[in-house]
Order: sequence, then C-alpha cells, then structure tokens
Amino acid sequence: MSGPLEGLRVVEICGELGQYAGKLLADLGADVVKVEPPEGSEARRVGPFVNDEPGPNRSLNFWYHNTNKRSAVLDLEGSERDRELARALIARADVFLESLPPGRPAALGLDYDTLAATNPGLIHCALTPFGQDGPWAGYRVTDMVALAAGGPMNMNGYDPTDAPGAPPIHGKGDQAFNTAAHYAAMGILTALVARDATGEGQYIDCSMHEALSSTTEVGLPHWLYTGTNIIRQTGRHAATIRTEPWLHRARDGRDVLVFNIGRSNESWGKLKRWMQSHGFGANFDEARFDDPMNRMAARGTPEAKEIFEEVSRFITALDAEDVYRGAQACGLPWGAVRSPDEAVDDPHLHDRGHFVATTGEGVEGGALMPGAPYVLNATPWELRRPAPRLGEHTDEVLAGLRGPTPG
Amino acid sequence: MPGLPLDGVRVIDLTWIIAGPTATRFLADFGADVIKVEHEQAVDPIRLGRPIVGDAPTLNNSGFFNYINRNKRSILLNVRHPFGMDLLRRLIAVSDVVIENFSAGTLASWELDYPEMRAINERIIYCSISGFGHTGRDRDHTTWGPTAQALGGLTLTSGLPGKPPAGWGYSYMDHTAGYSAVIAILAALHHRARTGEGQHVDLSQVEAATVLNGPAVLDGTVNGRSWRREGLPPGNRAWEPAVAPHNTYPCLGEDRWIAVAATSEPEWEALVRAMDDPAWARDERFGSNAARLADQDALDERIAAWTSQRDDYELMALLQASGVPASVCQKPGDRVERDPQLASRDWWRTLPHPELGETRHDGVAPRLSATPGTLRRAAPCIGEHTREILADALNLTEAEIDEYAEAGVFM
Repeated sequence: MSGPLEGLRVVEICGELGQYAGKLLADLGADVVKVEPPEGSEARRVGPFVNDEPGPNRSLNFWYHNTNKRSAVLDLEGSERDRELARALIARADVFLESLPPGRPAALGLDYDTLAATNPGLIHCALTPFGQDGPWAGYRVTDMVALAAGGPMNMNGYDPTDAPGAPPIHGKGDQAFNTAAHYAAMGILTALVARDATGEGQYIDCSMHEALSSTTEVGLPHWLYTGTNIIRQTGRHAATIRTEPWLHRARDGRDVLVFNIGRSNESWGKLKRWMQSHGFGANFDEARFDDPMNRMAARGTPEAKEIFEEVSRFITALDAEDVYRGAQACGLPWGAVRSPDEAVDDPHLHDRGHFVATTGEGVEGGALMPGAPYVLNATPWELRRPAPRLGEHTDEVLAGLRGPTPG
Repeated sequence: MPGLPLDGVRVIDLTWIIAGPTATRFLADFGADVIKVEHEQAVDPIRLGRPIVGDAPTLNNSGFFNYINRNKRSILLNVRHPFGMDLLRRLIAVSDVVIENFSAGTLASWELDYPEMRAINERIIYCSISGFGHTGRDRDHTTWGPTAQALGGLTLTSGLPGKPPAGWGYSYMDHTAGYSAVIAILAALHHRARTGEGQHVDLSQVEAATVLNGPAVLDGTVNGRSWRREGLPPGNRAWEPAVAPHNTYPCLGEDRWIAVAATSEPEWEALVRAMDDPAWARDERFGSNAARLADQDALDERIAAWTSQRDDYELMALLQASGVPASVCQKPGDRVERDPQLASRDWWRTLPHPELGETRHDGVAPRLSATPGTLRRAAPCIGEHTREILADALNLTEAEIDEYAEAGVFM
C-alpha cells in the first residue's frame, strides 16, 4: 500500500511559511523536492536543536516539517544556470509550491506564465502572508504578527480577574503557518481533482491572511449580525458576555478543562455518583438538582453555583489525568490540559500508532513525533524517510533531469 | 463563467455543529453538491446558535449557521423511519463522499459502517470525524473542540508565564479538524480517479491537534524537555526562533494592541529608526539579539511607552513602511470595517437569505485562477431542498415524493 498522492511530483520553495503544506503532500505519498539555497532553508536555523547545538541538520523544527521530502540545493538568487535547472525541474512537476514574496518568482523567471507555457498541467500555488496584491501585499509577518492581523489572536486571552489588562495571546506552535498550510494543501488538492477531470492546471493565490480570517468561528458572525466584538476569557471561548470558567486546577497542579456540567440527566447522574464515591456532592441528591434548568451555569441559579464550587473542590482531590478519564466515563467531554510532549504517553494514541519514530544527526535510536493527522484505510499515511540533510538529494534530482521530459 | 473544480462531486453531509460543517463548507464553496441531511427531532444545534436575528430561534435565523453552511442544500430525512433510511441508502449509492462527525459507533448503530456503505457503493469515500478515531481503547471518549485543544497540547502552549493557560478562545480544532478532513477527502478523490478505489478516512480530532505541535513534542523526545517548566508559555514573547523584541504593545484607546517583532538586526535597526532613534535603544544592553533577549522586561517597557501614545493603525503603517513586522491585533469589527487589505481584495460578499435578508459573508480562500470557488446561495432553510434533491438525485416523481411525505419520512 502507498499514499493517495503516490506519483505526484511537487517542487517546493518554502521557508517557515509553506513547509508544512509540502509535508502534508509528502506524507500522503507525493515526491516533494525541496529546493533550498546553499545556506539551507531558513527553517534549518529555527530551534530547538538536537542537544541545543545549532547546525543545518539539527533543527527539530526542520525535522518535523520536512519529512518524506528530498532536498536539492540550487542557488536561485546567484546563478542563472541554477534558475534554469529549477525551471526544468518544475517543467516535469505536477505542483509548484512556493512562498516567495509577491513579484519574486517573476524576477527569478519562475512565474506561472513562464512555467505554464511548457507545462500547462502545472498547479502553481503561491502562498504569501497577504496575497499577491493589495496595500499590505508587501508587509512582513511572523507567525504572531499574522495571527494578530488575521484575527485568531484577538480571540485568546484572560478574564480581568486572572490577568488585568492582559493583551490578546499568541498561541504557540506556528499556528498561523499551519492554517496557511492547510489552505494551500486544500487549494492544491482541489485543483488536482479538477485536473483529474480536465487535464488543466492553474495558479493559486493563497493568502495566509484570508485563511486566518476564515478561522475565527463565532467572532465574525457576532460582528456581522449584531455589531458586537466578543470579549476574551481565560481558557475558554471568547463571548459577548462573560461566562463560567472552564479551567480547574487538579491535585497534581495540572489544569483540567471542565464544561457541560449537568447538561443531560444521564451524565449528571453518573457525575453525581462518581463525586459521591469520593465523598463529594452529598447534597446533590436533593430534588432541586434534578431539573437540568437549575443546573445550567448560564442561568446563574444557586444550584449551578453550588455544583460549580463542589466540582472545583472535587477536582483538587484528584490528578488531572484521573479527572479526564473519570469524566469521560460519565460521558462528559472534559480533558486534561497536557503539554505537547505528554500526549506521547497516551495509550490510546499508541493503539492507533499515532506517534512515529524519526532519526537524524545526533539521534540514532529514533525519537517519537506525531504522525498521521488522518487514517486513510486504503492508502495510509506513511513516514518513508526522515527530513533530508541539506542537499542530500541534489545529485539524484539533477540526474533525473537528464531523461526526456514526460508528456 | 468558469466551471467549479468540484463540480460533479456529490457529498452526503451527516455532520453537525462546527467541525464537519467546516469541511463541507469548503467543499461546497468549490462546487461540490453538499446535501445536508437533517432531522427535526435532532436538529443541528447551530441552527439555534447565537447570533440569532429576531426574538426567538426559528431554526433558520441563526447568523452563525448561515456563516458555516452557505452553498449547501438541505433535505429532511427521518432515518428512524425505514423509508427514510432506505432513501439515505439510495442517496449514498449515487454519491461520492459521505461525511459525519458523530461519536464513534453511531453510524455502525445505524447499520451504516464502512463495510456496509461499501456494499451500497463500492466507490464511496467515507469520512468520519470523531474525537479519538474509530479504533483504539478510548474510541468512545467524546470531545468538543476545546477538549482536543487541551489533550493535544494547544491550550497549555498559549498563555502568560505564571498564569493559567489562556488557550484558544474558540474551537480552533473544529476548524482544523474540518480542514484536515478536506485534505484527506480530496486526496482520496484523486486516488479514486486513478484507481476507482474508495476508502474510509478515520479522522481523530485529538490527532489532528497533536500534529500541530511537532517541534515541541520532539523537544521532549529528543532533548527531554517539557513545556511544563518555568517561563513557559512565554506569553507573546518568542519561543523559537528566539528573538527580541517580540511582543504585543498597548496603543491609544481601550484594548488596542499592536504585535511587533524584529527577527534580524536589520529589522531591529529599522524599528529603532521608526522610533526616531531614541538614546536608550543605543545602549549596549540592547546591542544584540542575545542582549535584548536577556533584558526583555526593560526592552518591552520602553517600546510600550512609545506605542502607548500612538494610534495602532498609524503605527502599523509606519513600522511596515520601515521594514518591521507589525500588525494591529484586529478584532472582528476591524477586519470587516477597517482592514484595507481584505477590502481591496473584495473579500466581503453578500448573499440573500429568506429570513436574514442580505447577509454578509467572507470570501473564498484560496483563490484558484481557472476554477475559483464561489458564493452561490446562503445557508439552506431546514428541509428547503427535500423535493428538489429527491427529484434530481434519485429521479423520484412528484407522486412518489408525496407518498413518502404522507408516510412521515420528511420530518
């Protein structure tokens, strides 16, 4: 078995922005050739590094975002010969994915019109911070700056009681780049499905800003229908009015996400018995707690307040993972607030083979990292090779140019 | 008028709430015929979701529902009625994709697991979105978006040091599970175009979250370092690459903020020039990135003193003109009313809706040159297309549809 994109030839010229889109395609079976400058992709200089020693082949950021790709070094800025080789490479490709500044591809002779003249089936995706035109097209971003402009950042923050005057918060993990990559991959595959029917390629102008502005849930509807900007809250949804807290600290100092308490009679009955088995909620058997309306936090009833306070006390008596598992047994969608590395210990994720072992300079035995975001039963996600060393495949890729151009 | 890229792809949409409907919104924007199967006894809760226009929910007056269900058609089908289930199976037989985001096991309880669907239609692509996937010991656990964010490490990595997590103030993982489903479905459609083979896409919302923090996981498994340590999360300061300044700074007005970063010495120099070359910026303590990282409190205090006297959009223009990455932390209203970039790219569109009037929508991203996505109709009223769908997908006659109606199938 092999991935659904087996045989798809992709040329990628991307730094931190776009490398995840190339990974999404490569992990589904595409042959992604990453064209890098002689000094290497900028992501090779982004930490953390293996044992904190920088080096072009030691960036864990690069390792993660460049699995299953091949690396070919071409000096596009300095050498017309190398630009010609890049054009030859793209002439044989199905997809050209780049995140160069607007105008830069044309300056390098790598613009869509030039490339499509010899390869009309080409899908050229240009992923940029703000799109190809408009007053901000030349603006610079980081992941944080993009999240600020696009709107997601303004959704995250604190209740004034937790952090008075706190700013909007930048959720970490390069989520602006990730969302932009999702849109680039969706666009490329949409164009590919169209090409399967028509044979024709096309150009895709993928703006990270537009992708992010499409990814803020109720933020826009509240403005569009009621002219209201929602307010930020600690660890839960931004809303038009302040709502009940969702985070509670457990005995081990870890936080637990707690919500939907008492929403259904069934889960309430189970929660009540679970708490009572630990000596909490003795008075929950009183009839006034039987009515779901009385239990709804949003209605501000005395019962809801009592339940909330008792649940909070109960949680301080248990460890976070035990609260998570106990609540799930009651049918409640609570979760432990984990550090990213703590998910590696989850037995369920091991059952599904979610974490995969990769290797690289300084790591011989293999280190676990997240694997498939989706399980495709006929054409599974696969780690075929770790991220390439800088220029590891230059000779091999250039040798492949010597044969006739496929038709 | 160019064609739509997913023209001819029919999707039976059994999803509700946000994750599934986000996936089918994308497919519908690009031309798939998305048939939202609905049941009056178990309506999509978002049909009742705020913001509501008017005094009380009518099932058709939710602005949020309209926002995530445009371009789709709605059929009322009581699948608890044997005739209703029969019609659903006949629809699956003539479709390309079935997508649902019920708890694991729900479709199996309808006797519609993947082997059964495949028996109905060998080419079907069946995508299930659930919290933990359809296999593994915890497959019956349930999630909402925030649960997946908590378990996947996204909540903890968003916040100020020494404070509880700020997390994500919305279901980022509902959007992202939807996007992940789209990627898998489109890849499966491409595979089917070449081989004729359909398949089951088993998407776990938690797994779609863990993959968003790969470098942090590797820092744990390679370097033995957890994010659960002093100083992390670092608020709006940088994790990696470690650069300073990198933060949000207050501007004139209430709750107005600008995000500013200098990722290189030239960008730092540009920032200093934009601030009119203040003497403090020439102090040795800010003379290199390493020095600035070591003294971020003092650095941020001085930059904040400068920004707090200024208008956020004017600052953004000044800093960007100087070559410094910077943006206003835009609120929803800012994006709609003030953002010149979205306006100049004609991002905001309108669609007429029978109960909501002219409704505003964001545009379609990304922009495909030959076969762009389009906005063709607002979200459907409940059951709006029941007869139309049965006529055009199953070739039922008016008389046959009337018989089903009398039997109580469309409710």
